[in-house]
Amino acid sequence: MSVRRSARLLALPLVALVAAAGCGGSSGGKQSVSTQNSPGASASVDSAAAALLPASVKSKGSLTVAADASYAPNEFIGTDGKTVEGMDADLAAALGKVLGVKVTVENQSFDSIIPGIVDGKYDLGMSSFTDNKTREKQVDFVDYFVAGTSFFVKANGGPKVNTLADLCGLSVSVEKGTTQQDDATAQSGKCTKAGKKKVSVSVFPDQSGANLALSSGKVQVSMADSPVAAYQVKQSNGQFALSGQAYGTAPYGIACTKGTGLDNAILAALKDVMASGTYTQILDKWGIQSGAITTPTINGATS
Amino acid sequence: MLVNTLAFSSTTRGRSVVSRFDWQVIGQYFASDRVFQGLERTLLLTLIAMAIGIAGGIVLAVMRLSANPIVSGTAWVYIWFFRGTPVLLQIYFWFNLNFLYPNLTLGVPFGPALYHADTNGLITKFVAAFLALGLNEAAYMAEIVRAGILSVDEGQTEAAQALGMTRLQTMRRIVLPQAMRVIIPPTGNETISMLKTTSLVSVIAYTELLYAVQLIYSVNYQIVPLLIVAALWYLIVTTVLTIGQYYVERHFGRGSARMLPPTPIERLRTLVLRSPESKAL
Repeated sequence: MSVRRSARLLALPLVALVAAAGCGGSSGGKQSVSTQNSPGASASVDSAAAALLPASVKSKGSLTVAADASYAPNEFIGTDGKTVEGMDADLAAALGKVLGVKVTVENQSFDSIIPGIVDGKYDLGMSSFTDNKTREKQVDFVDYFVAGTSFFVKANGGPKVNTLADLCGLSVSVEKGTTQQDDATAQSGKCTKAGKKKVSVSVFPDQSGANLALSSGKVQVSMADSPVAAYQVKQSNGQFALSGQAYGTAPYGIACTKGTGLDNAILAALKDVMASGTYTQILDKWGIQSGAITTPTINGATS
Repeated sequence: MLVNTLAFSSTTRGRSVVSRFDWQVIGQYFASDRVFQGLERTLLLTLIAMAIGIAGGIVLAVMRLSANPIVSGTAWVYIWFFRGTPVLLQIYFWFNLNFLYPNLTLGVPFGPALYHADTNGLITKFVAAFLALGLNEAAYMAEIVRAGILSVDEGQTEAAQALGMTRLQTMRRIVLPQAMRVIIPPTGNETISMLKTTSLVSVIAYTELLYAVQLIYSVNYQIVPLLIVAALWYLIVTTVLTIGQYYVERHFGRGSARMLPPTPIERLRTLVLRSPESKAL
């Protein structure tokens, strides 16, 4: 443990030295740092990517990442009761290693993260954010994954829902501030316009509340991002089942403050993480390889 | 405060659209449908929860002061349980009652069932909300009412008994009216506090005022202006309740002093119309 820590302490000034010496070159010097055995154990610091970090991050030497840890398997609180774990947490750690900065993942409520990034309270938001044009007005996104929305219902006696249109007359639970909240509310309007019964949407402060409402029978359907829905169904030991197909496949983006250049640094680091195979390792660990992408982009939303 | 807010927002990184004191947005949402609907639900919940709380509190307090150990013991257990758990937990408990009792049946023990209901259909979000808030409030009100009853001199009860009044008559006509003077101020406190405590029901997705505002800003990111809208409405209702409490206190304070002090309105009238004509009247 002490060998690892001193090796990491050595890495930072060495990175700074190499960056100062050969910054802007075509291939920055890669420094090997031995780390603990989680996905990304063989990560090395990419000084070219680290050089793209904004000055404030470089001087801090750390990145603050915000995530709403009620969204397993992407972000959730681990068994120790305080560490944020999951796909986003692992990816944040891998990015931190490549950039040679410390990464702290904080648990914050979902709808406070984007305003927090705009205000500069957090550096990054990695909370399964769907990259869309509305959110791109507030922050820049580095797209790293794709996911759609899935419906899940009670396995015994749950309704059959294939598309949003099937929701008319049903009760749905969603998390506050998500695209699912918008979709379900919009669908309710469409249902009433078509003369059908409205969708009874229950918006909960977090996904746990939405899941509880489904398991206690308060609502008939729940909607969440497809990896989250799949994980819920897996963890429920046969109580829940997925219904229909995932729709609205859209990219997940890492939210960064506009105009700081942080998105370029993250993009470069992400390309390294993908090239080294760490990305695939992380997705495999959580069983969500189906959402993998090959080329990360910035602000790749189409709607 | 306005200057500080402006100074703060100019030093934060990035032109932030979410932390300005935006009176236009406040004006836009202050009287909007969603905010009104939330306000309506908050007021309704406060009313029903306080009604249950006060009625339950009086019953429990009288039970606590009973000589019968079973009666006072039952009241003690109720107060202990409902004061001993957080309101938030009670809200969750009532909302998810069907985990413990999937069906509710009312009937004769070992006899026919007179009333049978599926718990899920019976306990909606609204029902769970006012049950949790009301029953919790009853426990706290019980102590307030008990304090009021204890404040009435024992001589009053003795005199009533000497006149041949039953315990119920004594309580209803002699003790409780006098106890009200001591009960009203903390009850006013509890009512005003209940107005804000209703915001906890957001955890069962019941959209009262604060949650309605949160749902709006979770989509348009106008956090501070919308929170100000909610704060303004809470302040307005609290002011109305405070004025109401003042007049209720005056009503129950009759007979406690030879002349009750003038109300603010009477004082204002005297100040404004200080003239020989008004003195003659």
